[in-house]
Amino acid sequence: MELTTTLSRDLVLQLSKGLGEPEWLLNQRLAAWETFVKLPYPTTRTEEWKYTDISGVPFESLAPEQPRGRKGPIPEAVQARIAQAELAGYAVFVGSDLVHVELPEAYRAQGVIFTSLHEALKERPDLVKDNLFRTVNWNDLVGPQARRPENSKIPALNAALFTHGVFLYVPKEVEFSKPIGVFKYLEGGYLSGSRTLIVGDENSQAVYIEEYVSPSQVAPSVNTSATEIVLKQGAKVRHAHIQLLGQGFYHFHRQRALLERDAALNDLVVNMGASLSRAEVQSEMLGPGSASEMLGLYFTTGTQHVDHYTLQHHVADHAYSDVLYKGAAKDQSRTVYAGLIKVEQGAQKTDAYQTNRNLLLSEDARADSVPQLEIGANDVKCSHGSSTAPVAPEELFYLMSRGLPRHMAQQILVKGHMADVLTRIPIEPLRQHIESIIEEKVRV
Amino acid sequence: MANELEIRNLHARIVDGEAILKGVNLVVPKGQIHAVMGPNGAGKSTLGKVIAGDPGYEVTQGDILVDGESILELGPDERARKGLFLAFQYPVEVPGVSNANFLRLALQAKRGEEVSVSEFYAKLQKALETLEWDESILTRYLNDGFSGGEKKRNEIMHMMVLEPTYAILDETDSGLDIDALKLVAKGVNAMRGPNFGALLITHYQRILNYIVPDAVHVMIDGRIVTSGGPELAMKLEEQGYDWVKELAVAN
Repeated sequence: MELTTTLSRDLVLQLSKGLGEPEWLLNQRLAAWETFVKLPYPTTRTEEWKYTDISGVPFESLAPEQPRGRKGPIPEAVQARIAQAELAGYAVFVGSDLVHVELPEAYRAQGVIFTSLHEALKERPDLVKDNLFRTVNWNDLVGPQARRPENSKIPALNAALFTHGVFLYVPKEVEFSKPIGVFKYLEGGYLSGSRTLIVGDENSQAVYIEEYVSPSQVAPSVNTSATEIVLKQGAKVRHAHIQLLGQGFYHFHRQRALLERDAALNDLVVNMGASLSRAEVQSEMLGPGSASEMLGLYFTTGTQHVDHYTLQHHVADHAYSDVLYKGAAKDQSRTVYAGLIKVEQGAQKTDAYQTNRNLLLSEDARADSVPQLEIGANDVKCSHGSSTAPVAPEELFYLMSRGLPRHMAQQILVKGHMADVLTRIPIEPLRQHIESIIEEKVRV
Repeated sequence: MANELEIRNLHARIVDGEAILKGVNLVVPKGQIHAVMGPNGAGKSTLGKVIAGDPGYEVTQGDILVDGESILELGPDERARKGLFLAFQYPVEVPGVSNANFLRLALQAKRGEEVSVSEFYAKLQKALETLEWDESILTRYLNDGFSGGEKKRNEIMHMMVLEPTYAILDETDSGLDIDALKLVAKGVNAMRGPNFGALLITHYQRILNYIVPDAVHVMIDGRIVTSGGPELAMKLEEQGYDWVKELAVAN
């Protein structure tokens, strides 16, 4: 039980004022604050949090991170990634401060908006107001989360106290050939929160890579992120959430995408860092012909704990979704995956798949997997499956007998285990980046 | 320094299980190829795996020496770096890593230093030529979706590139048609020379028509019961294993 708290309603007021926010946004923050105060934290008795204990997470004892108006420099680790990533445009945050953003004029001329959420509030207040808190908020849960209101606790905290964010608007018919990259560098020691709002207008196409980085060891730190994706008819977005935070971080991500007719989302979650992290990814197929591919990769070492939740919510008929989450756990680390395919009554001809596979590299590592189906229509194709298995000793022996030391043999087996996800990442620099992260992690 | 692979009174069992090797004595001098023949269940494949350091087995007595030095305490990777190679009967499929990339990593690990791309490809080219094989095998994932014959041929290619001092070929001939068998034999014969010794584990005499061994050993129930020249393999082919089994019982 927290007896003292660094958080208060005054803090919400002060933050909103400092950021020069319009009244409607302040009111939303205050409503979120009320919800936050009212709700208990999820515990391991909360079905969705059964395998993840957050009782030790210092949500209310850390100083809330505040904007400090820094304009640079871009941290070295981020510079290296930018040089490698072959991006169309990018933004870099250090803490709450947007230190750099760039997008070629050609895109801006076509009406693309790629800027901080607070800048966008000035440029296109209508677009922001219509969409912010539309998919991730504190009172509109879907799927099994809706049964237990404490699932709103952390998103309410994020909504009340987020300090920064990104807004991407891709106008009708506009197509990006290269990715947009957003790098969030957190120094650690704070309670941080950010939001992302992506609106793809009709028949637009974009690739958005969001990456969280920090020093490899930090004082206890909490980060919450909320990503909202709204895809109009025929819009296509490829989205990646890459979490490489250092030890000491507790990271909580919630994402929800709305897909209208023929819209397509290709989503990727890469959860490699932090002491404890949870990523919730939800896709709602609201229009016929919509499609959501949801890929996940995670690899834990030491005493790391990662938790994943996916929801494939089929509201419309003739839609497609495919979840493929693959993970590996080493040392005493732990991974969790839970996912639901929920097919509503009218969603005939749904095509939905869900697979989770886990590889254990040591006897003390553990993976829990809970795939679920809830099908309300009778003419659908759905399947789900999960497996958890230790590295086969004969595979390790085979590779080592060719001269490879154990860690290299394990590295190859982890990459092999993840190969079918990796080959579904068509962005070559991103795939190489992820492969090198895996290689580094096995070596440690 | 002895120039040989020596198996000295080797006893081994499955970890916490049944004893398989019950006192194997065998010497393969560098420059020679020896065949180990025997019926199913004699322990031939176990012998190969134990020499290579399979952690699924434990040595309870005896020793394995490479050029006079015991390797019992070494892991499988360290044994490979000492010059041993095991061509697996059932090579493992590993998606996600290409055959060539894996082999380059292995060669570098074995040598403990970077191997230039040009040197590596020169070695690959030579092996492919001998094995009459297409380059496309290099970019495919390691053994992934390979046919049985391709897997065996690939083991020989790995051997040719890694250039071990002592190779153990575990039933590399089984399941091969005659053309594939000839190619595998061609690969092994290409390795023949004063700096290469091999132990050819086989159930059938057939491969010995193409790789003429310097010696043949017959293994029954975890022991070598008789040894001889290539003519011993012919005799086994004609008369089967029953007479050797009787010999084993008599011993």
